[in-house]
Amino acid sequence: MQSQFVPVLVGCAVALLSALGVVLARRPIYAAMALLVHSLSLAALFGILSAAMVAVGQVIIYSGAIVVLFLFVVTLLPTGGRELAPNTNRVGAACVAGGGMLVALAAALASGALPPTAAVFDLGVAAVGHSLFGPLVVAFELTAPLLLVAIVGAVVIWRRHEPRSTTTPRVLEATPRRLVMHR
Amino acid sequence: MTAEVLVLVTSAGLFAIGAAGLLVHRHPVAMLMAIEVMLNAANLLIVLAARVRGGVDAESAALIVLVLAAADAVIGLGLALALFRRKAAPDVDEVAELRG
Repeated sequence: MQSQFVPVLVGCAVALLSALGVVLARRPIYAAMALLVHSLSLAALFGILSAAMVAVGQVIIYSGAIVVLFLFVVTLLPTGGRELAPNTNRVGAACVAGGGMLVALAAALASGALPPTAAVFDLGVAAVGHSLFGPLVVAFELTAPLLLVAIVGAVVIWRRHEPRSTTTPRVLEATPRRLVMHR
Repeated sequence: MTAEVLVLVTSAGLFAIGAAGLLVHRHPVAMLMAIEVMLNAANLLIVLAARVRGGVDAESAALIVLVLAAADAVIGLGLALALFRRKAAPDVDEVAELRG
């Protein structure tokens, strides 16, 4: 994998810089754009790491669906999603947490050495399909109800705060129910 | 430094950046984007492990993580929209209780 060092370096640099852009952008629309660049750079890294299926999934699901969903929400927000300015406590907590996380992860990574890269591997689409419908079939099938529950949950959260409908007449709510007998 | 170590270090850095962004923001949508960065860092590590070990199961798990990311974005954005309905510039710290 040494011949791929320069592409990996470029991909990692773009991923890190765009992640910084996501975090540091003051307006959510710029953050969403940085997230788009970030997900595309990660898709490139997945492609270099010979995970073509995940790279395609990243482009379709992440860049195509999730980032577009974020953009929709940002455009729906009143005043484009104004944010209160972060106070010094928050910035301090973020620096401590980010630095601590980095130190902890670096210590964990430095303690163990990477095994030598496998010379023979098959990460093609057919192999991924066999794996998805073989050992991982339960997890794969459970993603369908998960998405369904997520959609229903989002609708329920939204409808709960919806103002009362104006099409139904208010008079009916005030009068008590009467029993009407039909022949 | 080999390419694998570079990807490893990038993954750790992305996770730390996402964690810092999650704490520094008060905008719910911006916080969700930071969470997505953290999820991407974990996914990058999974794909790297699949490549190093030559195992295809980890790559399939990375695909399932992508679907999980979509589900959590849907729920999180629904909550964010509900927050913005109540206030033009909401503070996530003010929302402290759940009601059924």
